[in-house]
Amino acid sequence: MDRAMVARVVNVLLGIWLMAAPNLLGYGTPASTNDRIVGPLIITFATVAMWEATRSVRWANLPLGLWLLLAPWLLGYTSTALINSMAVGLVVVLLSLVHGEISGRYGGGWRSLVQSN
Amino acid sequence: MTVDSAMSTTTVTKTAEKNGYVRQSDDGIPPGWSYNPATWRQRLPIVGLAVIGFLIASYLTLYQLEILPTVWEPFFGDGTRTILNSWVSTVLPVPDAALGAFGYLIDAVTGVVGGTKRWRTMPWIVVIFGLAVGPLGAVSIMLVVFQPVLFHAWCTLCLASAVISILMIGPAMDEMLASLQYLKRVRQEGRSFWRAFWGLES
Repeated sequence: MDRAMVARVVNVLLGIWLMAAPNLLGYGTPASTNDRIVGPLIITFATVAMWEATRSVRWANLPLGLWLLLAPWLLGYTSTALINSMAVGLVVVLLSLVHGEISGRYGGGWRSLVQSN
Repeated sequence: MTVDSAMSTTTVTKTAEKNGYVRQSDDGIPPGWSYNPATWRQRLPIVGLAVIGFLIASYLTLYQLEILPTVWEPFFGDGTRTILNSWVSTVLPVPDAALGAFGYLIDAVTGVVGGTKRWRTMPWIVVIFGLAVGPLGAVSIMLVVFQPVLFHAWCTLCLASAVISILMIGPAMDEMLASLQYLKRVRQEGRSFWRAFWGLES
């Protein structure tokens, strides 16, 4: 597995963890609601970004990770939920930045559609 | 052959390759690409996923229509029953799983139709294929959010269906990209966008 794939897989696992964490760690709303919304979204974007032609979708997880860092302070989390959200958010942010190798060529990619040449 | 005619042949070939629609006896690789996104090797895995998704959604529909009295749920107790009988699942005139089954069917059919150069010969089907996977994935994920947030329950087969629907998005998009690039080239040539879109010239 290349670097990009590792980054995508770990973010998928973190999304699954967010979905399970409210039950496993025993914290309630508002943290549980937030994590159960953000988790599936992180999984979705990380999964779509596994393919080279849609690699850029990884960027969608950057604001989601930042939101996980911010949400505890805005919504008022208990300490367990706060630590969990901050830790997961930090890793999601860092991994969303990993672009990795693109081995195929795609005729200039999606950008070519909006470029005038 | 004179040097002049050899050179002009090369020029014509290069222009044709750049435009990507004159190469009739080629391998179907779009200009500037390292592979052809419309080969069966590329498409069949997506079609396979769509068929599995269709079977899962059809099974859940049969339960929602009360044709099947029980539904399979290995992990979450009453979860699947709670979800499939929730107001979200029954808010539409048809069961929500039936809509899912319909979406997977469109994905499977538009994944199969057309030859291995269809990004150029049938852009319309490739675009429908590419657009169909988007809403299916979006609705699936929305329903995955609803399960715990609104109903405090999980539904194993609904989750499996959601996983399948998001797995199809990435691999379907490269073919759509090739079709859209082709249509852009056609328009820049000043030729009819719609004729190319419907595959009437290629």
